[in-house]
Amino acid sequence: MLKKLLPVVTFLILTISVLAINSNSSERFEPYSPEIQLEDRWLGVPVSYALDILGDPRPNHYLMNIDPDSARMGEELVRFGQLKDGSNKRISKYFLCTDCHNQVLETDDPADESPERVLEYSMKNNIPFLPASTFYGMYNKEHWYNGDYDKKYGELVRDTRDTLFNAIQLCATQCSQGREMEDWEIRCVIHYYKSIELKVSDLNFNDKEYGLYVAYISAMNKKAKDLIKSKYNQINDAHFGTSKIPVIEGYEPNYKNGEFIYVAGCLHCHAPERGITNFDLDTTQLTLKFLHNKKDKYNSYSISHITRYGTYAIGGRRQYMPQYSFENMSDEQMLDLMHYIKVKANE
Amino acid sequence: MRILVTSLLILVGITNSYAQDKVYETFAATRVINNHSNEMLPQQTLEFIVAHKFGDIAGASGGLENFFGFDNLADVRIAFEYGILDQLDIGLGRSKGIGLRTQIIDGYAKYGILTQKTSGMPISLTFVSSLALSYAPATTEPTLLTSYPKFLNRMMYTNQLLITRQFHPRFSAQLNVGYNHRNFVEFGDKNGLFFAGASGRVRFTKMLGLLVEYNHVFGRPSIIPSQQPLSFGFEILTGGHAFALHFSNGKGLNENLFIPGTTSNWLDGQFRFGFSINRRFKL
Repeated sequence: MLKKLLPVVTFLILTISVLAINSNSSERFEPYSPEIQLEDRWLGVPVSYALDILGDPRPNHYLMNIDPDSARMGEELVRFGQLKDGSNKRISKYFLCTDCHNQVLETDDPADESPERVLEYSMKNNIPFLPASTFYGMYNKEHWYNGDYDKKYGELVRDTRDTLFNAIQLCATQCSQGREMEDWEIRCVIHYYKSIELKVSDLNFNDKEYGLYVAYISAMNKKAKDLIKSKYNQINDAHFGTSKIPVIEGYEPNYKNGEFIYVAGCLHCHAPERGITNFDLDTTQLTLKFLHNKKDKYNSYSISHITRYGTYAIGGRRQYMPQYSFENMSDEQMLDLMHYIKVKANE
Repeated sequence: MRILVTSLLILVGITNSYAQDKVYETFAATRVINNHSNEMLPQQTLEFIVAHKFGDIAGASGGLENFFGFDNLADVRIAFEYGILDQLDIGLGRSKGIGLRTQIIDGYAKYGILTQKTSGMPISLTFVSSLALSYAPATTEPTLLTSYPKFLNRMMYTNQLLITRQFHPRFSAQLNVGYNHRNFVEFGDKNGLFFAGASGRVRFTKMLGLLVEYNHVFGRPSIIPSQQPLSFGFEILTGGHAFALHFSNGKGLNENLFIPGTTSNWLDGQFRFGFSINRRFKL
């Protein structure tokens, strides 16, 4: 009897073993891919949610849920400076948030927001190359107005560095030279920020990190928190430069990069149809020759001077230009920009 | 009338159908020198203008004795102008006035009918309608121009069409045709005057340029002393400000004054230095 059953039992054991191995391999060794991310419940979640369930302290701007109406109003304030129904006063008559800030991811790796990585990603995706941080993932930052911003705004930055609410208010009153925002307006903007916060799927995990992340978070292991935080910047640093034209031994400026910086950076505000600045720029030889001829001057017509120093708002002339810190434009990119201007000026 | 309305609707339709590649900076400011240009103020923008013309540089009233006209004042105008829409401006100004017509208030409306595009639309077409009136006290002498028997006698009007083209970022030109009407004129003069003009701008650099402006008044009675206004200017842009320095035989700073009221002759040294400063504010 046992002899008759032995082949059947052996067959069943082998079948179960094969199925078990296949089942394990599909979980452990499947390569990491975006398609799988979307299906994975731990990858589609917002970063703040993942951190929250892992016990990370909640920031003072924490929102449990997005209120869709508030988020919509927040987006309108960001994009149009006021609600589309005209029921509130425009925050600033000089600038919109979108003049300096994007609303999309600016890099394929939120842990690397270097100007080189941002430029490469921006060129690939045709995203404006702007002097201020993107609002995408702003909700997930922990500190604002860091580094040299105290040189520009002094004591005003002190209360903004750990409080998003205050950072938004400073941006409204100083950066955009507008009025103070009301509490409900700032709350709406934070709801909008939450709607475009980082998702775990935005983080640039490699296969091993992804495996660890799934294992840690499934077990509610706090190591998941550190892993998540290692994959995006919590701080936007800022270091200001001088008007000196950079000298980089052996560096060959890149014309295409320079062209993109001029068109997607300079012209984002200075194109005449934008109506933002007092000094219109275009791609005509007349304009580029002027910029090239002024490159060595110590004034606002010099590219290196205006880009690194910007200008300041003064009475009767509130429109000013924010500077590009080294975190937003590298010295190499400055040379790329000046190279493009020189070539076009001499065509 | 129906044809006129239809034509305007077609023109407005054409204006809106090419919204992507507008040609900018045909002229630096809303004036070439004295007369209007096709440039419009952006919506919700206020422009403050101070314009000034001194006395004759040479001739009988000029020379060193009057420090080449700087001791005298031909006209001065202070104005506020506002962009209601990107294609509709209004303005209000006050001038000292010239000749017998003094203490002038002027106002205008300007509409951009067509806008030059990099492709499709080769010109800009702009219509300007202006009105000026003197609020100086009427004189008791009934034969004088300034007796103003009725309030409407104080009024002057100018309507003109500006046809503008930027041929190159360094060179722009404008033709203008118009009609000036003064309700009350001197004996022997005509109330209505047709005029046409040409203006040009040559840019040396992005910030510096040369300007010229000429207007020709047709059918002026020969018993009325008159000259055709001719001006040369130099523009300096600083980003936010537009300075225009010019020399002109016209004394007036408003089209209702310099079109019918120019009597100075360049060849007699009766030309003068003037300037205007324009400053824009966002409201």
